[in-house]
Amino acid sequence: MFLKVQLPWNVVIPAESLDIKGLMLQKSIVVRLLDEFASRKATKDLGYLLALTTLESIGEGRVREHTGDVLFPVVFSGITFKLFRGEIAEGVVHKVLKHGVFLSCGPVENIYLSKLKMPDYDYVIGENPVFMNSKMSKIEKGSTVRFIVIGTKWLESEREFQALVGLHADYLGPVS
Amino acid sequence: MLRADEEDASELKIGDDFLKAKCLMNSEVAILLEHRCDQMKHMSGDSTTQLPQVLEKSLQYVKRFSRFTNQGSVKQVREVLSRYQLAEFELAVIGNLCPENVDEAKSVVPSLKTKGRGHDDEAIERLLNDLLMVKKFE
Repeated sequence: MFLKVQLPWNVVIPAESLDIKGLMLQKSIVVRLLDEFASRKATKDLGYLLALTTLESIGEGRVREHTGDVLFPVVFSGITFKLFRGEIAEGVVHKVLKHGVFLSCGPVENIYLSKLKMPDYDYVIGENPVFMNSKMSKIEKGSTVRFIVIGTKWLESEREFQALVGLHADYLGPVS
Repeated sequence: MLRADEEDASELKIGDDFLKAKCLMNSEVAILLEHRCDQMKHMSGDSTTQLPQVLEKSLQYVKRFSRFTNQGSVKQVREVLSRYQLAEFELAVIGNLCPENVDEAKSVVPSLKTKGRGHDDEAIERLLNDLLMVKKFE
């Protein structure tokens, strides 16, 4: 699910970027914020950070001792993406393995649909392996699949989420 | 924050922070991100600029999974769905998946079935019809 959230953040402006002209300060803050936002990629609580939409407010700056840098508490709105347990969403298959398939959904690529979670589908070996059920419904590379999220996991070192998904509800499965 | 094992979107348990957050439909995100990407390319003065990966992947995703593409109808979808006392999360799921019948709607948004919320089959039917109308006149 894509979300629009308000986030408090601390922005440190190096002393040399401080300008007497007020407008430049706001620009430095935005530039700095964008940089940090882009390098952060995702956080455990908020999910993937996609875009910053508006800078809502800039608080009183505090000068840091020794360096002379100024820290500004700011609040901004941004767009994030997070998968929730129990959520139903659609994704695209990008890898078919014997034991299941990997899907991507939004910025998340490690979404695993295990063979055990689609019991009526069988693996069909071939140059382009597929999963197929008795009604000839196919799950192959490039297919769109509607799934339910069983669980998610945050990987701190990669700053990424993994998700396990299943097809155990009505109206789930490949979408044509 | 909720503990991971308490989270359950089918019962609308997604944590207080997120219940208050505005959920966006894929179609809305497509409009926002496309605008943002154009801006970034414009700012760097180079149309071949590499976008951050997370942004690029999301943009491709929302383009593929947008049910509505026209800005006016995207706005209308939200207006129409807002009349039905849905939680933000439910509204976005319905707007993203556009269920074709009442049964499907209740399956993809199980919280609709919660008693006492006034979402009987008739109300859901009306909602889906309204949604279909927006799509028809897009």
